[in-house]
Amino acid sequence: MSPLSLELGLGLLGLVLLLVESFASVPRKLIAYAAIGGLLAALAVIVSGAAGSVPDSLKEFYVVDPLALFYKGFAIIATLATIILSLEYAPIIHQFVATHPERTKEAGLGEFYSLPLFVCVGMMVMASAVDLITIFVALELVTVSFYVLVAFMRRSAASLEAGVKYLILGALSTGLLVYGMSWLYGMTGELSLSGVAYKLAHWEGNSAPILFAVGLMLAGLAFKVGAVPFHIWIPDVYQGAPTPVTAFLSVGSKAAGFVVLTRIVGTFLTPGSVVAGPVIQILLILGGATILLGNLAAIAQTNFKRLLGYSSIAHAGYLLVALACIHTGGLKMTSGEVAAFYLATYLPMTFVCFLILSAMRAKGYGEDIASLKGLGRANPTLGLALAIALASLAGLPLTAGFMGKFFVIFATVLEGYYTYLAIAVIGAATGFFYYFKVILAVYSKPDGPSEGPTPDLGLLSKVSLAVFVAAILVVGVYPDLIRFALVK
Amino acid sequence: MEPISLTGTVLLLPLASALVIMLFHGLLKNVAHLVSTGVSIIMFGCALIFLGAEDQPNGLLLYEYLKVGTFTADIGFVVDTQSRGMLFIVTFIGMLVHIYSLGYMKDDDARARYFGALSLFMFSMNGIVLADNLVMMFIFWELVGVSSYLLIGHWFKKPEAADAAKKAFLTNRVGDFGFMAGILILFGLTGHVSIAQLQGSMESGALNHIRDNYEWIITLAGLGLFLGAMGKSAQAPLHVWLPDAMEGPTPVSALIHAATMVAAGVYMLVRVYFIIGASHVTGDIIAWIGGITALMAALMATQQSDIKKILAYSTLSQLGYMVMAVGLGGPKEGMFHLYTHAFFKAMLFLGSGAVIYACHHEQNIWKMGGLYKKMPVTFWTFAIGTAALMGVPLMAGFWSKEGILAVAYPEHGHGNGILFGMAVLTATLTAFYMTRLVVVAFFGKARGKDADHAHEAPLVMILPLVVLAFPSVLAGYHFLAEPLQALVPNHHEGAGAKVVMGCSLVAVIVGFLAATRLYRNADKDPVNIPLFANKFYIDEFYAGLVKYGQDRFAWLVTALERIFVDGLTVRLPAALASGLGSWMRGLQSGSLQAYTFVLGLGIVVVVYLAVFFSTKP
Amino acid sequence: MLENYLPVLMQMLMAAGFAGVTLLASVLAGKSAKRNKMKDSAYECGMLPLGEAQPRFSVKFYIVAMLFVLFDIEVVFMYPWAVIFKDYVAVFGAAIFWWMLSFVGILLVAFLYAWRKKALDWSS
Repeated sequence: MSPLSLELGLGLLGLVLLLVESFASVPRKLIAYAAIGGLLAALAVIVSGAAGSVPDSLKEFYVVDPLALFYKGFAIIATLATIILSLEYAPIIHQFVATHPERTKEAGLGEFYSLPLFVCVGMMVMASAVDLITIFVALELVTVSFYVLVAFMRRSAASLEAGVKYLILGALSTGLLVYGMSWLYGMTGELSLSGVAYKLAHWEGNSAPILFAVGLMLAGLAFKVGAVPFHIWIPDVYQGAPTPVTAFLSVGSKAAGFVVLTRIVGTFLTPGSVVAGPVIQILLILGGATILLGNLAAIAQTNFKRLLGYSSIAHAGYLLVALACIHTGGLKMTSGEVAAFYLATYLPMTFVCFLILSAMRAKGYGEDIASLKGLGRANPTLGLALAIALASLAGLPLTAGFMGKFFVIFATVLEGYYTYLAIAVIGAATGFFYYFKVILAVYSKPDGPSEGPTPDLGLLSKVSLAVFVAAILVVGVYPDLIRFALVK
Repeated sequence: MEPISLTGTVLLLPLASALVIMLFHGLLKNVAHLVSTGVSIIMFGCALIFLGAEDQPNGLLLYEYLKVGTFTADIGFVVDTQSRGMLFIVTFIGMLVHIYSLGYMKDDDARARYFGALSLFMFSMNGIVLADNLVMMFIFWELVGVSSYLLIGHWFKKPEAADAAKKAFLTNRVGDFGFMAGILILFGLTGHVSIAQLQGSMESGALNHIRDNYEWIITLAGLGLFLGAMGKSAQAPLHVWLPDAMEGPTPVSALIHAATMVAAGVYMLVRVYFIIGASHVTGDIIAWIGGITALMAALMATQQSDIKKILAYSTLSQLGYMVMAVGLGGPKEGMFHLYTHAFFKAMLFLGSGAVIYACHHEQNIWKMGGLYKKMPVTFWTFAIGTAALMGVPLMAGFWSKEGILAVAYPEHGHGNGILFGMAVLTATLTAFYMTRLVVVAFFGKARGKDADHAHEAPLVMILPLVVLAFPSVLAGYHFLAEPLQALVPNHHEGAGAKVVMGCSLVAVIVGFLAATRLYRNADKDPVNIPLFANKFYIDEFYAGLVKYGQDRFAWLVTALERIFVDGLTVRLPAALASGLGSWMRGLQSGSLQAYTFVLGLGIVVVVYLAVFFSTKP
Repeated sequence: MLENYLPVLMQMLMAAGFAGVTLLASVLAGKSAKRNKMKDSAYECGMLPLGEAQPRFSVKFYIVAMLFVLFDIEVVFMYPWAVIFKDYVAVFGAAIFWWMLSFVGILLVAFLYAWRKKALDWSS
């Protein structure tokens, strides 16, 4: 079974669900369950290793290597979590979408459950794409679907504003990326990454046009992953978008950006490449600035969602630095694999935070850090889960987050980038400050006479919460769990 | 059973027990002690089977914890004579203390917490014994510290107990710093943390170059490890925590602060003996510190009136003996003394616990007296323990003490006349203060109301005493020591052997006679040496040092903090951060125009970096 | 070589000619008609050219415009396909037809969706 058929199948499922949504009046939850079922089936195929290879004629555009399979699985898990989150968050969506929310029950929810499937397809194709056009089309499938998702709550001004900002800035960055790609194509005459890599390694003559193309492409991708100074859209969009979409953006969209970045940077840094020096330089500078700014700006935040937005910026910084460290032989991982590992640890902890945030919001609590006060007392299990996720985000030892940071920091040491080692450590230390501020809120006394927030979770959410928390703890002591999936 | 599953069981079962008890504290309130005791009995069974396990030169790997580059930190087990014997001692005494605690802690409100911590301790101690690499040993070393902290501070509502727990914990940090430094130096030198591999690279000559030219590095590593041992085994000047630790429940004192944990330092030194032996300086320093501790603690013990304190100083003194033996090139002698000492000292502590229990928590020996009739079993077992500790011929302690004296005798390779003299003097003092203890507490007439109404302790507490009496007598003989995998030293021959034997006998007799003469029918202490009673004023010295130094240091720190911490590292970054923050808030205006502008600027910067700024990083 | 661009020139000439002829015709034919203020304004019918700087348009305009662009792009994709169709049909056979049909099918789903959501219904 070719992995391409997985993507086609999931895309078809998305189309069918859209049609079902518009023609049949089935309960909207069924659409979500159908999507979950399809995703689970796809995940089973990937995990069982039944996803074989593709015909040779496609090898120029589409490869199936461990990294690709890893990111495909990653995309599916992120999408699953998003749909489960959406089920939790459905009341809020409905309230801001339906014309008469008090009269209808589920109006406007169908698309919200089926659109993530398209994002998933885009991300899965992207994981395998090794051709500029394939990369671009897949990236656009993801981005365009996100435009819709971000602005989904059309009766909420914040969501609309976020949507408009994301659309305009996103279009700008896409323009940059394509402009860069066209320069690259113009200079090398190649569309496939392997062809480009060969040309770069045997380049003679002026390298300025190539560097121009590289700069534009990196800028465009830096926008997708939210690196400083292209992070500027993140806080507003994350805050305004529906919470499940925010979670999806911060994990899925980021991962999508990074898989493309991994492939493209890998091409640029091919041995003997003329652009290797400047590319590493740019990655390091962007990464360092991102770590510092993301962490520093997070300190002042009082809104939990916005804080997570800045935190996701900061984490992107670590990922960029990881990509720049190419001599990671001592870790027995390539730089791309270090980044993938980091993303894999980032997924569960982010989703735990957003799951709890969604559940809180669905019960009418605010998104401020202060509204978490007393959670540890009113609902010790959720409080503990949140505390573990936050500790992991901060990088406390024995959690997955520590392992991710550990490998990145180790990579900088192996490479001898001591400035960036210092920045990474400073960033991590700052992280402890603001993440633990949230933990403190979770375990402090609630204001007033209230008992603290008591969000309800559906069964699916409870299961996924348990799985994610377990993943955080298990990977924290047994990182090889993920490493084996990556390094075959 | 396979050795790996045996050791795995021994290690993980108490962990499971500790976790279950601590997590379901409320639910298990009335069965926690049974769970913990049951686990300790199973562990003892495993240790018995383990005695027959075959040597594993390369260790058994349970789980590869961390592997980065050449650095590996595993959870692996070493199987050799030393670990088999030590595991037997730990689980045997652990089991008896568990059983004893059933009686001793019967009326305690927090019995479940106590037994949970006891299980945690067993887990950590087994980890130290079985560790095949220094990192794992260090982890369990710390865990032992934590469980010791929990158990000393078990009655944390008593300020003395809480303070003692803190003191033990903090003093041990000093040692742990050294331990860690030692591990790091060794890792830096060889690239290994596994003991077998370290020994391999030490013996294969891979380090000859370093040993010949930079011997001080190896000395430093050995001293670092020894500093760790000094903390755990309470060697001067880090000994101050052990007497205070007697604030913990008496069974804990028997298990942790007499037989097992405090011996971990000696155990570790013997494990890494190949490093200590590689440098004469290290050996000398270790021997001297051990000798000084032995003598000083013995002197202090002569003037204490708290029954547990006397035993605590005696423990210090005996630990000093063992450390001295290791430093003088006799790791086997040190281990052998550890082995015999564990039995009789645990028994003495448990006996003192029975006395304290009988006298309604009266610990002052001058308020006891005449107990031999009221508590015959306790008395007889206590007397056997005392005889063993004094080194009365044919008792267990006699053989092991003999071995240490022989190592110290100048005729032996590393022997040293002064240390030998100190050791003999210590032996005399040991006989003296132990006789004093027995005479004052058990003979004469009852000097207190509580002692008057004393009665024999319940069966669960008597039973462990009786069981321990047998090895206290027999542990020194080959027919018992060898199957139990003790490291038995070779018998010393030669002219010196007779001198050593003579000195040892004279020491016992002199000490015994002097104490009997002085203390028979005494109602209060006829001897009064404030220097000894006040433990050489070392605690006061530390307090003064801390207080005197602290004021000045605090001033300096405040100044530094104002300038560096507060100013440069907090205020400045805070100001920077908030400055940056407000600047960024200015950017983060929500205006799309501004965002696009920033984005454009970013593009210019990146393109500039790409095209014009192409120096290699 | 320049003759390759002849069609472009022709196109430009035709466009300019069409505009010129139209203007000329209106001048010739319209001279005699009555004039008033309304007739002299830029557009005789439709919206007033004067008003607020940023007038509000109904969202329906955008939806229709977007749908238009969408289906316009569909055709843009079909053009190159049509150009290479002859060469590739020999290699891939009928498959090449089904590929394009699946693309059209996806857009058909979009069209059905838009229809069901009443995006094409101007009055609602």
